[in-house]
Amino acid sequence: MVYGLAKNPPDAATFELGRQLFYDARLSSDGTVSCGSCHRQAAAFAHAGQRLSPGVAGRRATRNAPALQNLRWRRSFMADGGVLGLELQTLAPLTSPAEMNTPLADALAKLNADPVYRRRFAAIYGPGPIDTPQFLRALAQFTAALTSADSRYDQYVRHEAGGTLTAPELRGRALFAAKCSGCHATDLFSDDSFRNNGLDRTFTRDSGRAHITSRATDRGRFRVPSLRNVARTAPYMHDGRFATLPQVLAHYAHGVQPSPTLDPLLRRPDGRLGIPLSRQQQADLLAFLHTLTDQEFLTTPRLAPPRVELGRAESAPLAARN
Amino acid sequence: MKKRSAYSFLALLLTASAALLNGCKHDADSQPSTGSVAFELKNVVGQQPLALDGTAYTTAGGETFTVNTFEYYISNVKLTKSDGTTYAAPNEYHLINTAKPGSSSFTVGNVPAGDYTGVSFVVGVDSTTTKGDPLALTGDLNPANSMYWAWNTGHIFLKLEGTVTSTSPNKPFTCHIGGYRQPLSAIVTATPSLNGATLPVRASQVPKLSIAADVLKIFDGPTKFTLSNFPTTMMPSAASVQVANNYAAGMFSVTQVQPNSK
Repeated sequence: MVYGLAKNPPDAATFELGRQLFYDARLSSDGTVSCGSCHRQAAAFAHAGQRLSPGVAGRRATRNAPALQNLRWRRSFMADGGVLGLELQTLAPLTSPAEMNTPLADALAKLNADPVYRRRFAAIYGPGPIDTPQFLRALAQFTAALTSADSRYDQYVRHEAGGTLTAPELRGRALFAAKCSGCHATDLFSDDSFRNNGLDRTFTRDSGRAHITSRATDRGRFRVPSLRNVARTAPYMHDGRFATLPQVLAHYAHGVQPSPTLDPLLRRPDGRLGIPLSRQQQADLLAFLHTLTDQEFLTTPRLAPPRVELGRAESAPLAARN
Repeated sequence: MKKRSAYSFLALLLTASAALLNGCKHDADSQPSTGSVAFELKNVVGQQPLALDGTAYTTAGGETFTVNTFEYYISNVKLTKSDGTTYAAPNEYHLINTAKPGSSSFTVGNVPAGDYTGVSFVVGVDSTTTKGDPLALTGDLNPANSMYWAWNTGHIFLKLEGTVTSTSPNKPFTCHIGGYRQPLSAIVTATPSLNGATLPVRASQVPKLSIAADVLKIFDGPTKFTLSNFPTTMMPSAASVQVANNYAAGMFSVTQVQPNSK
């Protein structure tokens, strides 16, 4: 379901509490991994350069850490759509043995044992122990606020100062509209669907959407990711197999593999697969994709790890270990 | 049209008078028209009570095993009168956890008075609730109970973990049943027979239903499993549906019906 903003009205104190939780490595079983360890602001909350991010004790999960942005408008989460709400998404990496490895009850026990957290939760939700809905609501106030809408492309669309695109970028934009927006639709740059983009012929290691639905027709289908800040979110694909954007464009131009569930948009009338893209067109698309970088989102201190506040002598060190 | 309006008015008048008369009658009797039914679950292995202390149990096929976790949800309790009318109790979600003796009994309230001859319940959590507002997941539905799949939103309906001790080496087994999507939905309904007994629901008395939940029936139902090849199930699968059909078919049996436990 789409995030119920009205059920969790944003306020500064809850947002700051969510931010603290997001960057608190104590929520992992050995105190080394926070949400922010694998979701870093400078990479639009993806993990730059990491195909598979290390969890506790150096364990690796099976998928690339995705960018976190504009999550409020998403119906489901994870590359396979298995998680049905932004608040619930917290539980997947928290409890996964290869990521933070902390059962929810243990996380709540840790929070309840911390006088600073007790005070901050009580100030928002009233007295009593910190419970599941409070924890999920607070974290969601931070993740729901990860809005990227101020790239040069956005400024161009809104006719704002600085919103100019060069000739190659404009050509890239037209190409994008013609060849890519069937899946990377709207200004969210994703239609939030699950598609097989021809990475492999078989999907024995990761069946994607079929892992959730158990339907053969969903084998090899993965979430269409947003392309906002895509120049910063390398590596690419659900398993991080492509290190650079030119590799991604080359895949669509001449690397698409056949399989029964391959997306129809990647089958051409002449029977060939993929999206015809000349070298010049790939260069223009690349130029356009770089206009989706939102410097404000990537650098605003508002979304960065919080500084340990002075005068909290009773508290353990709260900074994330990045 | 005018004539029709007149008839409508007359009909309305009759309905109103009937309601008024009924109301008066109700007041005169001053009988509250609802009561409660108490449920008590007892987890067993065949004829023995289930203990999580390393006690070894034997299957019909002579294999032995111990249990360290046995938990399941009971929800959507439905009571049926002899005339076939039913009462579906809303918002009943109960996590029965062998490790927490207090969790093995619950009471369903607001049941219309009458004599009930049938009972059924879902073993698990319906898809509407399990997919519903995550912030409403408190009490027995709280994901902190560890009866929840974070990676595939939804509750684990039944969890049985233990060790097969008749194999060499001993073999741990993990059976987590869940999933509400076809074709691998594990949402099943159990309908244990009251064996001809009646649950007399009155404002003045609380009938009690004692139900045994027999672990052996998880292996032995429409599908026969030997323990040595009992599947490890931690996600929806064909085997998990077979296990669910087994426990729906025979795990629950009514051992006693008390007309009044008040």
